[in-house]
Formats: sequence, C-alpha cells, structure tokens
Amino acid sequence: MLRFSDVELYYDHVYALKGVSLDLMQGETVALIGANGAGKSSILRAITGLRPIRSGEIRFEGERIDGTAPAAIVKMGIVMVPEGRRVFPYMSVRDNLLMGAFTRSDRAGIARSLEAVLARFPRLEERWSQAAGTLSGGEQQMLVIGRALMARPRLLLLDEPSLGIAPTLVQEIARSIVAINRDENVSVLLVEQNSRMALRISNRAYALATGQVAVSGLSAELLEDDRIKAAYLGGNV
Amino acid sequence: MEQVLANGVYLGAQYALIALGLTLIFALMNVLNFAHGQLYVLGGFVTYTIYGQLGLPYVVALLASAVSLAIVGAALQGFLFGPVIRRSQREESTMLLAAGIAFLLDAVILLLFGEKQRGVPKIVDGVLNWDFRVIMPYDRILICALAIAFVAAFILYMQYSRTGRALRALAQDRIAAELMGVDVSRYSMIGFALGAMLAGIVGGLLVTITGVNLGMGGPTSIKAFLMVMIGGAGVISGAIAGGFILGMMESIGLSVLSQYGDVTYLVIFASLMVFLAIRPQGLMGKPWG
Repeated sequence: MLRFSDVELYYDHVYALKGVSLDLMQGETVALIGANGAGKSSILRAITGLRPIRSGEIRFEGERIDGTAPAAIVKMGIVMVPEGRRVFPYMSVRDNLLMGAFTRSDRAGIARSLEAVLARFPRLEERWSQAAGTLSGGEQQMLVIGRALMARPRLLLLDEPSLGIAPTLVQEIARSIVAINRDENVSVLLVEQNSRMALRISNRAYALATGQVAVSGLSAELLEDDRIKAAYLGGNV
Repeated sequence: MEQVLANGVYLGAQYALIALGLTLIFALMNVLNFAHGQLYVLGGFVTYTIYGQLGLPYVVALLASAVSLAIVGAALQGFLFGPVIRRSQREESTMLLAAGIAFLLDAVILLLFGEKQRGVPKIVDGVLNWDFRVIMPYDRILICALAIAFVAAFILYMQYSRTGRALRALAQDRIAAELMGVDVSRYSMIGFALGAMLAGIVGGLLVTITGVNLGMGGPTSIKAFLMVMIGGAGVISGAIAGGFILGMMESIGLSVLSQYGDVTYLVIFASLMVFLAIRPQGLMGKPWG
C-alpha cells in the first residue's frame, strides 16, 4: 500500500533520512520506533508532503506521491494525526471534528462518521460545544484521532500519540488504535517513543537510528530481540 | 447624552467593520496590513465612480466596491504577500511590503481619481428628530444599520460556513489545518480578499456621508490599528469591541472635550498608552476565536 524506496530528506544541510526504504501492506499496523531525532517524524512529514524529499521515491497504491501538496494527500486517503495533539484550541469539539471532514462533501456520510467517532470516544460527546483548548491531554488526543477519522482515511499516520498523556490513558489510546485498525479497515503507521506499547499493538516495526533503518521485522519477534531490548526497550516499563 | 450614544454607535459600526478586515488578515497571515486604509479609500472611490459619476443605483455601486476590493485583496496576497511570505523568514519583510503597498495604492488612487475631495448625492433625504434628544439624518441611520448588518453577516459566515471554519482553523493552527486538507495558499487568498472586501464596503458606505479623498488612507489605517490594539489582535470580538470603543470615545470626545480645543485624539492616544502598559494584549488578546 505504501512504499518508501531509498528516501533522503534534509533540513537545510542536515540530513534527517539517509536512504530509508520501508513498506506497509493494506490492513497492517506498522510501528516506527527509535530515539528522538532518529527520523521517525520526518518519515511522516515526507509522506504528508509537509517536507519535500531530496531523493528516492514514495508510492501509495503504486502511484508516486512525493512532491504532492498536503491537501491533495488528504484527499487520497492518507491522514496524519500530528505530534503534540494540535487541536484548534478556540474552536468547539464539534467544529474540530467537522474540520476533519473538510475534504468531504457527502453530508450523509459525514453524519455517519460523526456518529461512529462519538460512539468510539463518548467523552467527546460530553464536551461537544466546549472549546478544544480546555480539554485534558487525553481528551485532546481522542479529539485529534477522531478528527482524523472524520476524513475517512485508508492510511492513518499517528505521530507520538502517547506523548505527554497520563499512563492510564495511554492504554486506552492504544486500545482504540487497535480497534480502529481492526473495525474500520484502516492501515496504521505509528510513530512512538514508547517502543514497548508500539511493538505490542503493531504487526511489524522498523527501528530507526540516525536517519536509517537499523532493525526491522515482526513486532512480536522484535519484543524478544536482544538488540531491540538493549537499545529501545531499556527504560520503558 | 442620547445624541452622544447614537453618534458613538454610528461611528463604532463603521470602525468595527474596518477593524474586522484588518484583524482577519493579521490572524490568518501574521501580516500587519498598513495599506488597509488605502483599501478603504479605494472602495470609496469605486462607489463614487459608479453611483456618483455614472448614476447607477447605490446598491450596484456598493456591490462593485465589495467585489473590486475582494479582487484587489486576492491579487495582493497572490502576487505580493504570498511569494514574500514563502521566501522570507523575517516578519519585517511583510511589514515593509505592506507599507510599500500603502504608498503604491496612494499613487494609484492619485492617478485614477485625483487629489480632490469627492462626494456623492444623498442616498435618502430627511432627518430623524426624536424630541430634540437625538437628531440624525436618515442616511446616517441607514448606513449604520447596513454596517451592523455586515458585521453580523461576517460573524455568521465565519462561525457557520465551511469556508469560515477553515479560515478559523488556519488562523489557530496552520499545520493542523493543512493536514486536514485545507489548501493554505488558496485560503490565504480567500482570507485576504474577505479582509480587503470589508475595507471596500466601509469605503462604499462612508462615501455617502463624509465623501472620500486621497488623504484619508493613512489616518484610517492608524485608527484601524488603534481599534485592533484596544480589542486584542486577531480576535473577532476584540475588533468589534475596539471599533465600538473608539467610536464611542470619539463621539464623547467631540461633544465633551471640544470646548478645550481639538484634543480628542490626544486624550485617546494618551489613554491608549496607559491601557496598553497595563494590558498589552488588549481586551480579548488571544489568537483567533
């Protein structure tokens, strides 16, 4: 479904991705793990078109998408939940969710998606007309995931969904990611510093170090891999 | 007293409409549009030409002011501000550009319309006289009502339309809006066009009362900045509050302070300095809401 071939990405003269190749099949959840600055988020920015790549190519369902504008990427069914939640703080929960459906014009379909999102995150219905900036961190995370689902994605990109969220809520967010992948036939590319959580809920994973893929494989096997244990699972419980 | 209030509301409605356009452009693009007053003057001259010179109905003239200024606004964003924002990291670049555009528009207005004060025939005759407590010509009342209607329409549009929602989203978080599929360059253009259109509408409204001349541009920009600073930059409610506060202060000043000479704006500036020292973000200072 998604394929990176030898992608290089630079910020000015500093490289962030140095020849990254990876792929993701329809229906999979793939995790990208690694330390800060390893290049995980740069991969997402390259997919969404927020950052141009220098060389290599990115294909989505066979078509080249590198060099495509972010708005057009969303229309193709690739939707990103950005790091740090980034709700529209002075807009209501309702308006935030409707912004997720910005590229759609099928009123009935939007109404159905809205019902599905509220069924998945009932808390959002309680906060319906509240300004999004006044929500708790966990609620904001639910809101941005719900907002992304309103776009009816086929591939969902999640950037650090557990960052800065209460540990009990991390479990809840993790469960909802699994459920979204299972129920709605949405493939998921998950970027996480919480490697243990990411490996538990994904099918496969790529471990990145300094802009390159260091180790890749089935998540269940990586959880037992000594190299991964030493480098990525050390501090996480 | 009633007369002072009525004058204040009349002025405030026009001012609020000017401030809304300025604050919209600021919220969306972080651009301080020093040319806002010139856009207002241009709107006045369009109505003067179509209603005053060609003798077409006033509604047509007002519509023409709105449409032509929307086009000017979109062109300014598309050809000047857009490319400069893309290439330059520094905010001073757009400020310099805006100041340059103000001079450019002054020159264009001078070439097209000349330097004379221009007026148009009254749109309605007659004067309302409410027991000598409020005396106000009917055309002022009509213009005031129109301005309030435009303010209300703008708020409703921003609050409930799909485009309005996208503009608010863009002002609050550019990247997140882009990730939801908002075409940033297209919507920046729409936002700039809307802001310029509001300035053009006020120009078209006020030309029927005060007339229009080349020299009004700069002072109008300054007043617009005052209002936005009072209310808080980038906030709809702030622009409206700032507009009505300035209108009211001017109205009170003209009736109470005029006996001491032409000191109204001196007092306004002095109190604004004190106010900003205490509350630098303005009354409702926060990003677009």
